[in-house]
Amino acid sequence: MRRFWASKPLGVEGVRPRAAPPCFRLSMVHKRPHMRSWYERHLNFFLLLPALIIIIFLTIYPIVNVIYLSFYRYNYLRGVKALVGVDNYLRLSGDWLFLQGLKNTFLFSITATIMEVLLGLGLALLFNVRFRGRKWLLPAAIFPMMLSTMVVCAIWRSMYHYDYGILNHLLSLIGLGRVKWLIDPALALWSVVLVDIWQWTPMAFLILLAGLQSIPRELYEAAQVDGATGFKLFRHITLPLLRNHLMLAFLLRSIDTFKIFDKVYALTGGGPGTATETISFYIYREGFRYFNMGRASAAAVVMFLAVGTVTAFYIRQVLRRNYV
Amino acid sequence: MRAKWISILVILALLAPVGLAKTKLVIAGRDGGYGVVLQLAVDMYTAQHPDVEIELLKLPYAGLYEKLIIDLAEGIGAYDIVMLDDPWATEFMSHGWLVNLEELGYTPDPDFVANALAVGRYPYPDGALYALPHVGNVELFAYRKDLFEKYGLPTPPKSWLEVMGAAALIDRFEPDVKGVVFRGRKGNPIVAGFLPIFWAFGANIIEDGHAAVASDAGIAALKFLIALKDYAPVGVEMFDSSEVKDALLAGDVAMATEVWPAWVPALDDPAKSKVVGKVEIIPPPGLVKTSSPMIGIWLLGISSASKNKEAALDFLKFVTSAEVQKRLTLEAGHVPTRKSVYNDPEVVAKYRWFPAQLTALENSVPRPRVPVWSEIEGVLGEYLHLALVGEMSPEDALRAAQERIEEILGQ
Repeated sequence: MRRFWASKPLGVEGVRPRAAPPCFRLSMVHKRPHMRSWYERHLNFFLLLPALIIIIFLTIYPIVNVIYLSFYRYNYLRGVKALVGVDNYLRLSGDWLFLQGLKNTFLFSITATIMEVLLGLGLALLFNVRFRGRKWLLPAAIFPMMLSTMVVCAIWRSMYHYDYGILNHLLSLIGLGRVKWLIDPALALWSVVLVDIWQWTPMAFLILLAGLQSIPRELYEAAQVDGATGFKLFRHITLPLLRNHLMLAFLLRSIDTFKIFDKVYALTGGGPGTATETISFYIYREGFRYFNMGRASAAAVVMFLAVGTVTAFYIRQVLRRNYV
Repeated sequence: MRAKWISILVILALLAPVGLAKTKLVIAGRDGGYGVVLQLAVDMYTAQHPDVEIELLKLPYAGLYEKLIIDLAEGIGAYDIVMLDDPWATEFMSHGWLVNLEELGYTPDPDFVANALAVGRYPYPDGALYALPHVGNVELFAYRKDLFEKYGLPTPPKSWLEVMGAAALIDRFEPDVKGVVFRGRKGNPIVAGFLPIFWAFGANIIEDGHAAVASDAGIAALKFLIALKDYAPVGVEMFDSSEVKDALLAGDVAMATEVWPAWVPALDDPAKSKVVGKVEIIPPPGLVKTSSPMIGIWLLGISSASKNKEAALDFLKFVTSAEVQKRLTLEAGHVPTRKSVYNDPEVVAKYRWFPAQLTALENSVPRPRVPVWSEIEGVLGEYLHLALVGEMSPEDALRAAQERIEEILGQ
């Protein structure tokens, strides 16, 4: 048999390639760099160009536009536009509604993220072993994530109802008093956090389950031969190897919970008082109820910086060590 | 070869319907009960006019407002017929986003309730007509006649002081019944719930072009509302229309200070209501000023960027005609805007509060006719809610609101 790997490679047409006209042929890769045409040398760029154009229009341009608008006082309806410099930002720093929203957003994000990842880890550890009924229990555990957020909020809003909700009904059955879930300013934010935990723990759970299942069993067996048990296995094998997945779960849930809007909109409308005001809600109100694009843009830039800082931290952590 | 010709013929056959000129109308409307009513009207119309295809979008309140603003401001023309709440009317009409119906050759007939028709005019109340009144919403007051009679209270209550007294009495002595219920949720709900009391105390939001919410009368009205909260169910600060409706229908409250006709068809429906025949609907009480029910008409207008203005006007004439309004009212719980429908014996037999509703409509008062009303309402709604929850004192809340409203008016 002819040693096909040693013979001179054929071009696309099945014949020996002649001097190449400027078009992208596979034969290009076999030429020495100085023999490739300008187009062939920059092939990478041209292949990326369609995706690059889409990203620029859908991501870069809007971001630049928002930063630009944040220095203006601009009402979309009245068409009034005036350069006000950093006035919007100064206004924000003095707007207690915005500051309250900032505080609530951070509280919500941190609490929801930590709880979701912890519960997700617990569920992942549970489902990592084979037990009876695992096959149909797993889809049930993922089910909340598959529901539309508005449906979830509609269900929970009726469950949280002070007089007619099922939660208070159950509490009164076992002799405890009724709880003002969405009415008490001290409690309302945590009630919304609870709904988010219920809906999105499955996401952390799936990420961590995938991570757990990628840990080779031999490591556990080797450790057990050396006499390690239970918690030591968890601390010295599982956690270090799960580190990247944990970081990923934290990152994704942080970004998502920071953007919280739909649950606040559907459950409390920002109330009672300012208990469930969030940055997204503030931006929505300024931008799409009052159409004060300048102010909304400034708030959006602040939010972008906050999320960006958090994200940058996580990405550094994930990229730092890609292997143990 | 033959396969190629057959496939060409099949493709041509499938493309043929594209050639049939069918007028297409797109209506941006509300969801819920309003959506059911408009859908019935659309079905009736397309049955009579098979050459017209109508797409009806059913959107929630805030969603409808956003989508309309963006479409009309940019002149996109995605919607031919738009359904708008009367507080938005000045804003839309002052920007020229709606077609002048009189220029299209339409003249309204006098069967329309005058106040309802007036909100469709710009400048209010006697300028050109830009939109027709579709839903004759007017804010009313509901009370439990049986409970009032039980406690020897005069019916109907004519003053807000009587309301407070009745609330205190019934709340104290009637087991499992609270005195009043109202909407306290931040934004449009609490503003709509508060304005009847505010106006009855003689206060105004805008006077001579300046914000005037923090007047003595205004502060007194807000204190009155906060005092009423003592006799309202727990959580009233977060109540919206569905909670108020549920509380009234379940028989848990003696009075609902603000009800809209679209919420109450179920009052006498034994399947949904525990208070069949016990609730009376009247125009809201007065105090310093006589009762001035707040009007809240849903209008139907034609977008200036529409490409089918004539067809759209034909549909508008159809849906606001007397026969169609009567049928929508009887079959889908619609709230009409024509006197003949309100006085029709069949309709009154089904909805016994309609005569009171017509009186309220004829004496109704609209919210301030300024293009920036949405923003004013949002700001006022924030501060009223904070005062109700107790995070701010009534004086501070109204003064802060007045400052911001003044700023909005000045821009």
